[in-house]
Amino acid sequence: MALSPDERARYQRHLSLEEVGVAGQEKLKAARVLVIGAGGLGSPSALYLAASGIGTLGIVDCDRVEVSNLQRQVLFDTDDVARPKALVARERLLALNPAIEVVAHDVELRAANVREVLSGYDVILDGTDRLATRYLVNDACVLLGKPLVSAAIHRFEGQVMTYVPARGPCYRCLYADVPEGLVPNCADAGVLGVLPGLLGAVQATEAIKLVLGAGEPLVGRLLVYDALEMRFHEFAFARRKDCAVCGDQPSITEPRDPPAACDVATLARVRRITPVELHALLVSGPQLVIDVREPREFAVGHLPGAVNIPLGMLRERLGEVPAGAEPVFVCRSGGRSLRACSLALDGGLSSASNLEGGMLAWAATVNPDCVVAPA
Amino acid sequence: MSCSVRVASPLRSYTGGAATVTADGATVAELLADLERRHPGMRFRMIDEQDRIRPHIRLFVNTMAVESLDTPVRSGDTLHLICALSGG
Repeated sequence: MALSPDERARYQRHLSLEEVGVAGQEKLKAARVLVIGAGGLGSPSALYLAASGIGTLGIVDCDRVEVSNLQRQVLFDTDDVARPKALVARERLLALNPAIEVVAHDVELRAANVREVLSGYDVILDGTDRLATRYLVNDACVLLGKPLVSAAIHRFEGQVMTYVPARGPCYRCLYADVPEGLVPNCADAGVLGVLPGLLGAVQATEAIKLVLGAGEPLVGRLLVYDALEMRFHEFAFARRKDCAVCGDQPSITEPRDPPAACDVATLARVRRITPVELHALLVSGPQLVIDVREPREFAVGHLPGAVNIPLGMLRERLGEVPAGAEPVFVCRSGGRSLRACSLALDGGLSSASNLEGGMLAWAATVNPDCVVAPA
Repeated sequence: MSCSVRVASPLRSYTGGAATVTADGATVAELLADLERRHPGMRFRMIDEQDRIRPHIRLFVNTMAVESLDTPVRSGDTLHLICALSGG
Protein backbone atom coordinates (compact mmCIF):
# COMPACT_ATOMS: atom_id res chain seq x y z
CA MET A 1 0.00 0.00 0.00
CA ALA A 2 2.14 2.86 -1.36
CA LEU A 3 2.39 6.20 0.44
CA SER A 4 1.25 9.41 -1.20
CA PRO A 5 3.49 12.52 -1.15
CA ASP A 6 1.28 14.01 1.58
CA GLU A 7 1.68 10.88 3.65
CA ARG A 8 5.44 10.90 3.21
CA ALA A 9 5.45 14.44 4.59
CA ARG A 10 3.11 13.62 7.47
CA TYR A 11 4.99 10.54 8.61
CA GLN A 12 8.50 11.88 7.94
CA ARG A 13 9.65 11.22 11.56
CA HIS A 14 8.55 7.61 11.21
CA LEU A 15 10.27 7.26 7.87
CA SER A 16 13.51 8.34 9.53
CA LEU A 17 13.35 5.40 11.91
CA GLU A 18 15.12 2.35 10.61
CA GLU A 19 12.58 0.16 12.45
CA VAL A 20 9.67 1.80 10.59
CA GLY A 21 10.80 3.39 7.33
CA VAL A 22 8.69 3.41 4.19
CA ALA A 23 8.00 -0.31 4.36
CA GLY A 24 6.85 -0.07 7.97
CA GLN A 25 4.68 2.95 7.32
CA GLU A 26 3.04 1.07 4.45
CA LYS A 27 2.33 -1.78 6.88
CA LEU A 28 0.69 0.71 9.25
CA LYS A 29 -1.38 2.08 6.38
CA ALA A 30 -2.56 -1.42 5.48
CA ALA A 31 -3.29 -2.33 9.13
CA ARG A 32 -6.72 -2.58 10.70
CA VAL A 33 -6.80 -1.99 14.45
CA LEU A 34 -9.87 -2.13 16.69
CA VAL A 35 -10.12 -0.10 19.89
CA ILE A 36 -12.74 -1.46 22.27
CA GLY A 37 -13.99 1.21 24.63
CA ALA A 38 -13.64 4.89 23.81
CA GLY A 39 -12.88 5.72 27.42
CA GLY A 40 -9.83 6.63 29.42
CA LEU A 41 -7.67 3.99 27.71
CA GLY A 42 -9.28 4.11 24.27
CA SER A 43 -8.95 7.88 23.97
CA PRO A 44 -5.15 8.13 23.96
CA SER A 45 -4.64 4.85 22.13
CA ALA A 46 -7.01 5.83 19.33
CA LEU A 47 -5.50 9.31 19.02
CA TYR A 48 -1.96 7.94 18.72
CA LEU A 49 -2.98 5.17 16.36
CA ALA A 50 -4.73 7.68 14.11
CA ALA A 51 -1.79 10.06 14.23
CA SER A 52 0.57 7.17 13.46
CA GLY A 53 -1.26 6.38 10.25
CA ILE A 54 -3.06 3.12 11.04
CA GLY A 55 -5.06 2.79 7.85
CA THR A 56 -8.29 1.47 9.32
CA LEU A 57 -9.21 2.22 12.90
CA GLY A 58 -12.38 0.80 14.48
CA ILE A 59 -13.91 2.23 17.64
CA VAL A 60 -16.40 0.22 19.68
CA ASP A 61 -18.50 2.01 22.26
CA CYS A 62 -22.24 2.22 22.82
CA ASP A 63 -22.16 4.89 25.52
CA ARG A 64 -22.66 8.63 25.30
CA VAL A 65 -20.21 11.22 26.54
CA GLU A 66 -20.80 12.26 30.14
CA VAL A 67 -19.36 15.32 31.79
CA SER A 68 -17.49 13.14 34.31
CA ASN A 69 -15.66 11.46 31.38
CA LEU A 70 -13.87 14.66 30.39
CA GLN A 71 -11.35 14.43 33.27
CA ARG A 72 -9.53 11.63 31.40
CA GLN A 73 -11.21 10.81 28.08
CA VAL A 74 -9.26 13.19 25.88
CA LEU A 75 -11.09 12.28 22.68
CA PHE A 76 -14.01 14.43 23.78
CA ASP A 77 -14.70 18.14 24.24
CA THR A 78 -17.12 19.74 26.63
CA ASP A 79 -19.57 20.35 23.78
CA ASP A 80 -19.67 16.60 23.07
CA VAL A 81 -21.55 15.76 26.28
CA ALA A 82 -24.58 13.55 25.56
CA ARG A 83 -23.36 12.65 22.06
CA PRO A 84 -22.55 9.02 21.08
CA LYS A 85 -18.91 8.30 21.88
CA ALA A 86 -18.17 6.16 18.83
CA LEU A 87 -19.44 8.84 16.44
CA VAL A 88 -17.68 11.71 18.23
CA ALA A 89 -14.48 9.67 18.27
CA ARG A 90 -14.73 9.13 14.53
CA GLU A 91 -15.10 12.87 13.90
CA ARG A 92 -12.17 13.71 16.15
CA LEU A 93 -9.86 11.07 14.70
CA LEU A 94 -10.66 12.02 11.11
CA ALA A 95 -10.02 15.67 11.96
CA LEU A 96 -6.62 14.60 13.26
CA ASN A 97 -5.85 12.44 10.24
CA PRO A 98 -8.19 12.61 7.22
CA ALA A 99 -6.02 10.10 5.35
CA ILE A 100 -7.21 7.16 7.43
CA GLU A 101 -10.52 5.34 7.63
CA VAL A 102 -12.34 5.30 10.97
CA VAL A 103 -15.23 2.91 11.57
CA ALA A 104 -17.61 3.75 14.43
CA HIS A 105 -19.17 0.66 16.02
CA ASP A 106 -21.93 2.15 18.17
CA VAL A 107 -22.84 -1.25 19.58
CA GLU A 108 -22.53 -3.26 22.75
CA LEU A 109 -20.26 -6.25 22.21
CA ARG A 110 -22.10 -9.49 22.87
CA ALA A 111 -21.53 -13.12 22.03
CA ALA A 112 -23.87 -12.65 19.09
CA ASN A 113 -21.84 -9.91 17.38
CA VAL A 114 -18.29 -10.17 18.69
CA ARG A 115 -17.02 -12.43 15.91
CA GLU A 116 -18.49 -10.18 13.24
CA VAL A 117 -17.04 -6.99 14.74
CA LEU A 118 -13.57 -8.39 15.49
CA SER A 119 -13.15 -10.36 12.28
CA GLY A 120 -12.44 -7.23 10.23
CA TYR A 121 -9.35 -6.28 12.24
CA ASP A 122 -5.74 -7.44 12.62
CA VAL A 123 -5.04 -6.27 16.18
CA ILE A 124 -7.49 -5.69 19.04
CA LEU A 125 -7.04 -3.21 21.92
CA ASP A 126 -9.20 -3.79 24.96
CA GLY A 127 -9.85 -0.76 27.12
CA THR A 128 -13.33 -1.62 28.27
CA ASP A 129 -14.55 -0.89 31.79
CA ARG A 130 -16.69 -4.03 31.95
CA LEU A 131 -15.21 -7.28 33.18
CA ALA A 132 -17.71 -9.34 31.23
CA THR A 133 -16.66 -7.63 27.99
CA ARG A 134 -12.99 -8.12 28.90
CA TYR A 135 -13.46 -11.90 28.99
CA LEU A 136 -15.72 -11.92 25.93
CA VAL A 137 -13.05 -10.06 23.94
CA ASN A 138 -10.23 -12.28 25.22
CA ASP A 139 -12.12 -15.43 24.35
CA ALA A 140 -13.06 -14.12 20.91
CA CYS A 141 -9.43 -13.15 20.20
CA VAL A 142 -8.22 -16.62 21.18
CA LEU A 143 -10.91 -18.31 19.09
CA LEU A 144 -10.32 -16.02 16.09
CA GLY A 145 -6.53 -16.05 16.43
CA LYS A 146 -6.26 -12.26 16.86
CA PRO A 147 -3.54 -10.47 18.85
CA LEU A 148 -4.95 -8.61 21.85
CA VAL A 149 -3.49 -5.81 23.95
CA SER A 150 -5.44 -5.67 27.19
CA ALA A 151 -5.18 -2.90 29.77
CA ALA A 152 -7.06 -1.91 32.91
CA ILE A 153 -6.84 0.84 35.50
CA HIS A 154 -7.84 1.51 39.09
CA ARG A 155 -7.19 4.64 41.14
CA PHE A 156 -3.42 5.15 40.63
CA GLU A 157 -2.58 1.68 39.23
CA GLY A 158 -2.61 0.29 35.74
CA GLN A 159 -1.92 -3.09 34.17
CA VAL A 160 -1.24 -4.08 30.58
CA MET A 161 -0.45 -7.35 28.81
CA THR A 162 -0.36 -8.58 25.22
CA TYR A 163 -1.69 -11.85 23.84
CA VAL A 164 -0.30 -13.17 20.59
CA PRO A 165 -1.85 -16.42 19.31
CA ALA A 166 0.40 -19.46 19.72
CA ARG A 167 3.11 -17.35 21.35
CA GLY A 168 1.96 -17.01 24.94
CA PRO A 169 -0.71 -16.82 27.59
CA CYS A 170 -4.09 -15.10 27.27
CA TYR A 171 -5.95 -12.91 29.76
CA ARG A 172 -7.70 -15.96 31.25
CA CYS A 173 -4.27 -17.51 31.90
CA LEU A 174 -3.53 -14.46 34.03
CA TYR A 175 -6.89 -14.20 35.77
CA ALA A 176 -8.93 -17.36 35.25
CA ASP A 177 -12.11 -15.66 36.36
CA VAL A 178 -13.12 -12.46 38.05
CA PRO A 179 -16.33 -12.64 39.99
CA GLU A 180 -18.39 -9.55 39.29
CA GLY A 181 -18.54 -7.29 42.30
CA LEU A 182 -15.14 -8.28 43.71
CA VAL A 183 -13.23 -5.79 41.61
CA PRO A 184 -14.27 -2.16 41.89
CA ASN A 185 -14.55 -0.06 38.74
CA CYS A 186 -13.48 3.53 38.17
CA ALA A 187 -16.94 4.88 38.88
CA ASP A 188 -16.86 3.34 42.35
CA ALA A 189 -13.19 3.75 43.23
CA GLY A 190 -12.04 6.80 41.27
CA VAL A 191 -9.12 7.10 38.91
CA LEU A 192 -6.36 9.63 38.37
CA GLY A 193 -7.23 11.35 35.09
CA VAL A 194 -3.78 11.10 33.56
CA LEU A 195 -3.32 7.41 34.48
CA PRO A 196 -5.08 5.92 31.43
CA GLY A 197 -3.13 8.30 29.23
CA LEU A 198 0.03 6.37 29.97
CA LEU A 199 -1.55 2.91 29.77
CA GLY A 200 -3.41 3.75 26.56
CA ALA A 201 -0.17 4.96 25.01
CA VAL A 202 1.47 1.65 25.97
CA GLN A 203 -1.39 -0.18 24.25
CA ALA A 204 -0.95 1.88 21.08
CA THR A 205 2.79 1.21 21.19
CA GLU A 206 2.19 -2.51 21.43
CA ALA A 207 -0.28 -2.42 18.53
CA ILE A 208 2.17 -0.54 16.32
CA LYS A 209 4.98 -2.94 17.21
CA LEU A 210 2.76 -5.91 16.40
CA VAL A 211 1.89 -4.42 13.01
CA LEU A 212 5.52 -3.64 12.27
CA GLY A 213 6.80 -6.93 13.65
CA ALA A 214 9.33 -4.89 15.59
CA GLY A 215 10.64 -5.26 19.13
CA GLU A 216 9.35 -7.46 21.91
CA PRO A 217 5.67 -7.41 22.79
CA LEU A 218 4.42 -7.87 26.37
CA VAL A 219 3.75 -11.55 25.78
CA GLY A 220 3.79 -13.55 28.99
CA ARG A 221 4.62 -10.38 30.86
CA LEU A 222 2.29 -8.32 33.00
CA LEU A 223 3.33 -4.70 33.24
CA VAL A 224 2.07 -2.97 36.37
CA TYR A 225 2.35 0.79 36.79
CA ASP A 226 2.01 2.59 40.12
CA ALA A 227 1.57 6.29 39.44
CA LEU A 228 1.82 7.37 43.07
CA GLU A 229 5.23 5.78 43.51
CA MET A 230 6.12 6.23 39.82
CA ARG A 231 7.26 2.65 39.52
CA PHE A 232 6.86 0.03 36.83
CA HIS A 233 6.92 -3.65 37.73
CA GLU A 234 7.02 -6.54 35.32
CA PHE A 235 5.90 -10.07 36.12
CA ALA A 236 6.32 -13.26 34.14
CA PHE A 237 3.33 -15.56 33.72
CA ALA A 238 2.79 -18.60 31.55
CA ARG A 239 0.03 -20.17 29.50
CA ARG A 240 -2.07 -22.46 31.66
CA LYS A 241 -2.66 -25.91 30.28
CA ASP A 242 -6.04 -25.85 32.01
CA CYS A 243 -7.05 -22.43 30.68
CA ALA A 244 -10.75 -22.58 29.79
CA VAL A 245 -10.19 -20.99 26.38
CA CYS A 246 -6.56 -21.43 25.26
CA GLY A 247 -5.73 -24.55 27.32
CA ASP A 248 -5.22 -28.09 26.12
CA GLN A 249 -8.87 -29.04 26.64
CA PRO A 250 -10.80 -25.80 26.37
CA SER A 251 -14.39 -25.71 27.58
CA ILE A 252 -15.02 -22.38 25.85
CA THR A 253 -15.23 -23.04 22.13
CA GLU A 254 -17.57 -20.20 21.20
CA PRO A 255 -17.77 -16.63 22.53
CA ARG A 256 -20.43 -16.55 25.17
CA ASP A 257 -22.19 -13.94 27.21
CA PRO A 258 -21.40 -14.12 30.92
CA PRO A 259 -23.83 -15.79 33.23
CA ALA A 260 -26.28 -13.33 34.64
CA ALA A 261 -25.26 -12.08 38.01
CA CYS A 262 -26.93 -14.18 40.68
CA ASP A 263 -29.78 -12.09 41.98
CA VAL A 264 -31.15 -12.52 45.46
CA ALA A 265 -34.59 -13.66 44.28
CA THR A 266 -33.07 -16.42 42.15
CA LEU A 267 -30.68 -17.54 44.89
CA ALA A 268 -33.64 -17.84 47.26
CA ARG A 269 -35.12 -20.48 44.93
CA VAL A 270 -31.99 -22.65 45.04
CA ARG A 271 -32.47 -25.74 47.21
CA ARG A 272 -29.47 -26.40 49.42
CA ILE A 273 -28.72 -30.02 50.18
CA THR A 274 -26.05 -31.57 52.32
CA PRO A 275 -23.88 -34.51 51.24
CA VAL A 276 -25.86 -36.78 53.59
CA GLU A 277 -29.16 -35.66 52.04
CA LEU A 278 -27.76 -36.20 48.52
CA HIS A 279 -26.57 -39.68 49.52
CA ALA A 280 -30.09 -40.52 50.69
CA LEU A 281 -31.50 -39.23 47.39
CA LEU A 282 -29.08 -41.36 45.35
CA VAL A 283 -29.89 -44.46 47.37
CA SER A 284 -33.64 -43.95 47.04
CA GLY A 285 -33.69 -43.92 43.22
CA PRO A 286 -32.49 -42.26 40.02
CA GLN A 287 -31.32 -38.70 40.53
CA LEU A 288 -29.86 -36.39 37.90
CA VAL A 289 -26.53 -35.01 39.15
CA ILE A 290 -24.79 -32.40 37.00
CA ASP A 291 -21.13 -31.84 37.78
CA VAL A 292 -20.12 -28.37 36.54
CA ARG A 293 -16.36 -28.71 37.03
CA GLU A 294 -13.86 -28.71 34.19
CA PRO A 295 -13.46 -32.10 32.40
CA ARG A 296 -10.02 -32.74 33.85
CA GLU A 297 -11.40 -32.33 37.38
CA PHE A 298 -14.35 -34.56 36.55
CA ALA A 299 -12.03 -37.24 35.15
CA VAL A 300 -10.15 -37.54 38.43
CA GLY A 301 -13.24 -38.54 40.37
CA HIS A 302 -16.98 -37.88 40.39
CA LEU A 303 -20.28 -39.11 41.77
CA PRO A 304 -21.64 -42.29 40.19
CA GLY A 305 -23.86 -41.45 37.22
CA ALA A 306 -23.02 -37.74 37.31
CA VAL A 307 -23.19 -35.84 34.01
CA ASN A 308 -20.34 -33.40 33.29
CA ILE A 309 -21.37 -30.01 31.94
CA PRO A 310 -18.68 -27.41 32.74
CA LEU A 311 -20.12 -24.20 34.09
CA GLY A 312 -18.88 -22.31 31.05
CA MET A 313 -21.03 -24.44 28.77
CA LEU A 314 -24.11 -24.79 30.92
CA ARG A 315 -26.09 -22.03 29.28
CA GLU A 316 -25.72 -23.58 25.83
CA ARG A 317 -26.32 -27.12 27.07
CA LEU A 318 -29.25 -26.47 29.37
CA GLY A 319 -31.51 -28.05 26.74
CA GLU A 320 -29.95 -31.43 27.55
CA VAL A 321 -31.71 -31.40 30.92
CA PRO A 322 -34.95 -33.39 30.53
CA ALA A 323 -38.15 -31.47 31.13
CA GLY A 324 -39.34 -31.85 34.68
CA ALA A 325 -35.95 -33.02 35.94
CA GLU A 326 -34.83 -31.68 39.28
CA PRO A 327 -31.04 -31.76 38.98
CA VAL A 328 -28.53 -31.48 41.76
CA PHE A 329 -25.54 -29.38 40.72
CA VAL A 330 -22.15 -30.18 42.17
CA CYS A 331 -18.63 -28.79 41.89
CA ARG A 332 -15.52 -28.90 44.02
CA SER A 333 -16.57 -26.68 46.89
CA GLY A 334 -20.05 -25.40 46.09
CA GLY A 335 -19.38 -22.01 44.51
CA ARG A 336 -19.57 -22.86 40.82
CA SER A 337 -22.55 -25.12 41.40
CA LEU A 338 -24.41 -22.29 43.11
CA ARG A 339 -23.89 -20.15 40.01
CA ALA A 340 -25.02 -23.10 37.92
CA CYS A 341 -28.24 -23.33 39.94
CA SER A 342 -28.87 -19.65 39.34
CA LEU A 343 -28.24 -20.07 35.61
CA ALA A 344 -30.50 -23.11 35.46
CA LEU A 345 -33.37 -21.38 37.21
CA ASP A 346 -32.98 -18.30 35.03
CA GLY A 347 -32.91 -20.65 32.04
CA GLY A 348 -36.33 -22.03 32.87
CA LEU A 349 -35.72 -25.06 35.08
CA SER A 350 -38.32 -25.33 37.79
CA SER A 351 -35.96 -26.73 40.39
CA ALA A 352 -32.23 -26.75 41.05
CA SER A 353 -30.39 -28.04 44.08
CA ASN A 354 -26.87 -27.20 45.18
CA LEU A 355 -24.59 -29.64 46.96
CA GLU A 356 -23.38 -27.50 49.83
CA GLY A 357 -19.61 -27.67 50.18
CA GLY A 358 -19.29 -29.61 46.94
CA MET A 359 -17.22 -32.73 46.42
CA LEU A 360 -14.89 -31.72 49.23
CA ALA A 361 -17.78 -31.93 51.69
CA TRP A 362 -18.93 -35.19 50.07
CA ALA A 363 -15.49 -36.70 50.59
CA ALA A 364 -15.34 -35.37 54.14
CA THR A 365 -18.73 -36.66 55.30
CA VAL A 366 -19.97 -39.45 53.01
CA ASN A 367 -17.17 -41.11 51.09
CA PRO A 368 -13.57 -40.53 52.21
CA ASP A 369 -12.36 -42.71 49.31
CA CYS A 370 -13.66 -40.19 46.78
CA VAL A 371 -10.73 -38.40 45.12
CA VAL A 372 -11.37 -34.68 44.54
CA ALA A 373 -9.23 -33.02 41.89
CA PRO A 374 -7.55 -29.71 42.69
CA ALA A 375 -9.27 -26.84 40.94
CA MET B 1 12.75 -13.70 57.82
CA SER B 2 11.36 -10.40 56.79
CA CYS B 3 10.00 -9.66 53.33
CA SER B 4 8.49 -6.64 51.66
CA VAL B 5 4.94 -7.02 50.45
CA ARG B 6 3.68 -4.76 47.69
CA VAL B 7 -0.07 -4.41 47.89
CA ALA B 8 -2.36 -4.11 44.88
CA SER B 9 -4.41 -0.97 44.75
CA PRO B 10 -7.78 -2.67 45.50
CA LEU B 11 -6.32 -4.34 48.62
CA ARG B 12 -4.87 -1.24 50.21
CA SER B 13 -7.98 -0.66 52.25
CA TYR B 14 -6.58 -3.39 54.52
CA THR B 15 -3.20 -1.70 54.95
CA GLY B 16 -4.41 1.77 55.74
CA GLY B 17 -3.57 2.81 52.20
CA ALA B 18 0.05 1.63 52.39
CA ALA B 19 1.47 0.37 49.10
CA THR B 20 4.27 -1.57 50.79
CA VAL B 21 4.17 -3.40 54.10
CA THR B 22 6.40 -6.02 55.71
CA ALA B 23 5.69 -9.59 56.72
CA ASP B 24 7.67 -12.44 58.28
CA GLY B 25 7.80 -16.03 57.12
CA ALA B 26 9.78 -18.68 55.28
CA THR B 27 7.09 -19.48 52.70
CA VAL B 28 4.38 -17.57 50.90
CA ALA B 29 1.82 -19.27 53.15
CA GLU B 30 3.63 -18.00 56.25
CA LEU B 31 3.87 -14.50 54.84
CA LEU B 32 0.13 -14.52 54.16
CA ALA B 33 -0.57 -15.78 57.68
CA ASP B 34 1.55 -12.98 59.10
CA LEU B 35 -0.20 -10.47 56.86
CA GLU B 36 -3.53 -11.69 58.22
CA ARG B 37 -2.32 -11.09 61.78
CA ARG B 38 -1.20 -7.58 60.91
CA HIS B 39 -4.08 -6.73 58.57
CA PRO B 40 -7.12 -8.81 59.55
CA GLY B 41 -9.36 -9.90 56.70
CA MET B 42 -6.75 -9.40 54.01
CA ARG B 43 -5.85 -13.06 53.44
CA PHE B 44 -9.42 -14.13 52.73
CA ARG B 45 -9.63 -11.58 49.95
CA MET B 46 -6.81 -13.47 48.20
CA ILE B 47 -7.10 -17.08 49.40
CA ASP B 48 -10.30 -19.14 49.50
CA GLU B 49 -11.52 -21.67 52.06
CA GLN B 50 -9.59 -24.44 50.32
CA ASP B 51 -6.31 -22.50 50.50
CA ARG B 52 -6.38 -21.75 46.78
CA ILE B 53 -5.35 -18.43 45.35
CA ARG B 54 -8.55 -16.76 44.16
CA PRO B 55 -8.86 -16.60 40.37
CA HIS B 56 -8.71 -12.80 40.19
CA ILE B 57 -5.55 -12.63 42.33
CA ARG B 58 -1.96 -13.39 41.29
CA LEU B 59 0.98 -13.58 43.65
CA PHE B 60 4.57 -13.09 42.57
CA VAL B 61 7.81 -13.50 44.51
CA ASN B 62 10.03 -10.87 43.00
CA THR B 63 9.11 -11.35 39.30
CA MET B 64 8.11 -15.04 39.35
CA ALA B 65 4.55 -16.29 39.57
CA VAL B 66 3.56 -18.18 42.71
CA GLU B 67 1.78 -21.42 41.86
CA SER B 68 1.97 -22.97 45.35
CA LEU B 69 1.61 -21.33 48.73
CA ASP B 70 4.50 -23.53 49.85
CA THR B 71 6.86 -21.51 47.67
CA PRO B 72 9.87 -20.60 49.85
CA VAL B 73 10.95 -17.00 50.31
CA ARG B 74 14.22 -15.52 51.45
CA SER B 75 14.87 -12.47 53.53
CA GLY B 76 14.79 -9.44 51.26
CA ASP B 77 12.41 -10.98 48.73
CA THR B 78 9.36 -9.00 47.72
CA LEU B 79 5.94 -10.61 47.59
CA HIS B 80 3.69 -8.81 45.10
CA LEU B 81 -0.06 -9.06 45.58
CA ILE B 82 -1.68 -8.40 42.20
CA CYS B 83 -5.40 -8.07 41.66
CA ALA B 84 -7.40 -7.93 38.42
CA LEU B 85 -8.55 -4.41 37.60
CA SER B 86 -11.69 -3.56 35.70
CA GLY B 87 -11.44 0.15 34.91
CA GLY B 88 -11.00 1.47 31.42
